Amino acid sequence: MDKQSLPSPAAGMWSVAASQQAGGEPRPTAGTGPVPPWAFPLPSLPRKQPTVLVVCGPAQNGAIGLVCARHLRIFDYEPTIFYPKRSLDPLYRDFTTQCEKMDIPFLSYLPTEVQLINDAYNAVVDAVLGAEAELGEGRGPCAGILATLKHVRIPIVSLDVPSGWDVEAGSSGGISPDVLVSLMAPKQCARRFLGRQHFVAGRFVPYDVQKKFELNPPEYPGTECVVDLSASQ
Amino acid sequence: MSSVPGPSREPPRYLRVSGSQRRERAPRCSSPGGDAEPSRVSPGRSQPCSSLPSPESRGGGGGWYPNSRSCQSNRIPGLHGCGGDGSGIGSLGVGNAGRGFPQGDGSGVRSGVEVHVELSKAEAEAIEKELLEDYRFGRQQLIEIWGHACAVAVTKAFPLPSLPRKQPTVLVVCGPAQNGAIGLVCARHLRIFDYEPTIFYPKRSLDPLYRDFTTQCEKMDIPFLSYLPTEVQLINDAYNAVVDAVLGAEAELGEGRGPCAGILATLKHVRIPIVSLDVPSGWDVEAGSSGGISPDVLVSLMAPKQCARRFLGRQHFVAGRFVPYDVQKKFELNPPEYPGTECVVDLSASQ
Repeated sequence: MDKQSLPSPAAGMWSVAASQQAGGEPRPTAGTGPVPPWAFPLPSLPRKQPTVLVVCGPAQNGAIGLVCARHLRIFDYEPTIFYPKRSLDPLYRDFTTQCEKMDIPFLSYLPTEVQLINDAYNAVVDAVLGAEAELGEGRGPCAGILATLKHVRIPIVSLDVPSGWDVEAGSSGGISPDVLVSLMAPKQCARRFLGRQHFVAGRFVPYDVQKKFELNPPEYPGTECVVDLSASQ
Repeated sequence: MSSVPGPSREPPRYLRVSGSQRRERAPRCSSPGGDAEPSRVSPGRSQPCSSLPSPESRGGGGGWYPNSRSCQSNRIPGLHGCGGDGSGIGSLGVGNAGRGFPQGDGSGVRSGVEVHVELSKAEAEAIEKELLEDYRFGRQQLIEIWGHACAVAVTKAFPLPSLPRKQPTVLVVCGPAQNGAIGLVCARHLRIFDYEPTIFYPKRSLDPLYRDFTTQCEKMDIPFLSYLPTEVQLINDAYNAVVDAVLGAEAELGEGRGPCAGILATLKHVRIPIVSLDVPSGWDVEAGSSGGISPDVLVSLMAPKQCARRFLGRQHFVAGRFVPYDVQKKFELNPPEYPGTECVVDLSASQ
């Protein structure tokens, strides 16, 4: 039942990883236009190893982060996961097993000295809290993580909602991601997003749902599952 | 596109790197005898390497990361050795020779000289079983991944601007088992990709998962035919291509002569291109076909099956990118390079 109550994991969630992939190679365009600029193509990474830190919270946003990490591994990145509060949900545990069996390392703790993070990784994927998070959860158990993330100097990619932000009002003094990947459609707090790239991963949403909720989605090129809103401005 | 090849053309094969050239995996940290039975990060033990110092024993500014001499930490991203002198963390810059993460650098894949044996029915089943049981993939996950990949392959084989008909119609014929479910997901993604799929799914499964896939298609307004016309000209006229998702690798020999026989007899006579998912329906998974359908395009799931040797069509895609590296190695899949974030690769293009 759990497996069927979530949106199709692969279709929706690898789109997050796709927003970070290598865009250096010419892609078969099928007449759909130029190659979109992804956030962190492999050739552009500053570090010798294509390391990415994926910080996963205890709920669904964290599970999305796990799947994102697995796909990043498939895309030849070297993700490391920090998943301190593991869910007991069997589906999320399966996602964890899939990552472990792909030899993705799990950190036992997140260093509070942010320079260690800055030096080891090219970017951080923030999959701590999502749209379902209650206001104030950012000040609860996840507060320590978010305090650390607030001070990292490497780019942060937030999944759906910058963790700690209010889904609608946005943030006051929280983390400032460089890249936001909105799932299905942007949330209201995305208006306050000041980073450099805003992707939407909403291609799989059926047309009737789009119409019912007046999502008015953008065009997706070719068979891409994400589109860079900032590029079309 | 190349013209229809004659019977003497060899179907695409995987090349296997010979034993001496095979790219070796870096030994894992805590496995005593090499990677014969590699240890896994257990859920209760977050640190991937048993020789890592415990957090309490670390000292100095650089103490968070293990010394790479005591542990092959060069394979653990983000855990580079620091030399223990507090000089700070940075990549030791170790070369790729000891890398644990296999990089898609193409080496060792195309330079081999041996011919790789494609999967037998038993091997295909074993891989799927391992993915489901050991790797804890869900069946819904796998079918979604495969169905999406098949749809992507269809868009590569038949790009929208290239379709002969005014409407981008595609007929998707779904059998009663897993291959049919993959066809349903393929149809849904084709709809997302702006094609106009129509599904023929005469024998619906009672499996709740497959029924959910059916509902997802119905709610996307994908039409379901109530019957398949036996007059093939009607099919030739209405559609640009047919996706054959009738029988897959799990099908028993002779199933093609059972309830699906009528469908396959019709498909054998269509003049529009056929795209077969994993195995041309009605073919024996290993021996191939004698007088069965002749698809133009084959999309092999995970890896080609042995019957793919007898595939004579124009394009052979493999959708195996998601298969974990350890499974690839265990079954000697030796997959090709996938460009960018593509989930399928055209084997025939790299010949």
